[in-house]
Amino acid sequence: MKNDSELYKQICEYLGCDLDSGPCKEIQDHLAKCPSCEVYIDKVKKTVHLYKEIENCDEIPEKVCQKLFLSLNLNEPKTNESKTGADNHDFQRFRH
Amino acid sequence: METKPQFNEEELVAKAQQGDRNALSQLVVNYRSRIYHLGLRLTGTEQDAEDILQETFLIMVKKIHQFKGQSSFYTWLYRIAVNIGLRKLKSKPHKYQHVSIDDPDIEYISSTEIADWPDFDYSKFARKHLRKKLDQLIEKLPDIYRTVFILRDLHELSTEDTSKILQITPSNTKIRLMRARNYLKEELEKIIDKEGLI
Repeated sequence: MKNDSELYKQICEYLGCDLDSGPCKEIQDHLAKCPSCEVYIDKVKKTVHLYKEIENCDEIPEKVCQKLFLSLNLNEPKTNESKTGADNHDFQRFRH
Repeated sequence: METKPQFNEEELVAKAQQGDRNALSQLVVNYRSRIYHLGLRLTGTEQDAEDILQETFLIMVKKIHQFKGQSSFYTWLYRIAVNIGLRKLKSKPHKYQHVSIDDPDIEYISSTEIADWPDFDYSKFARKHLRKKLDQLIEKLPDIYRTVFILRDLHELSTEDTSKILQITPSNTKIRLMRARNYLKEELEKIIDKEGLI
């Protein structure tokens, strides 16, 4: 078993990764028997989740869109899909 | 989560590089919302977000022929937007005093994290009120931490892409993200205690 300092560095590394990614077994073992670490990570997850809940990247004011296309001297494409729908679809490609 | 793209982006970019204005317009449609919200998060004001949006796409239109495909197109575009946003931030006094962020203390963690957060009742908090509080917290983060949190957690970019955009190492990205998350968690905890959400 690693000492606290080494383990802590690994936990920090883990926290900087995707929270659902496969962590190393030693950390998992430690977390399973360490309520403090488990609670800590759970709180970090809930914090990130809360921020994601309030974030809405799909909406953009219509006026802003119009000004944008005007400044670029481009025509806004005519499409059956709503603006947010098109943006939303592409956004899925970003998710990991 | 992956879904099949409804258009071939490589093809779209290639057409745009040859001066196809419809392809340029489609690229703007594909990325405008995310660039706008990135700007909004970076600067905290709608006017600055709009400026970042316009400047980013003006550069895209002007310099798309220089895009060599060494990174993905959105990495290239995000890098432009982040650079404009950071330059904007440097040019004006910050609304909030930035907090000082260090590594969380392991002794502190082990002595205080026993109390769990149950599934607290968000509805007790007016959504607008909660959003304002959370926005204030994120704006207090120093820029180097806030940008990583925005790209990784809110825009869900990978560590690798975030590192490329910010031109820092993946390790650095992870450390900054960990510190940002920890700071936000600590501050949220104070709000939860104060507002009696649990």
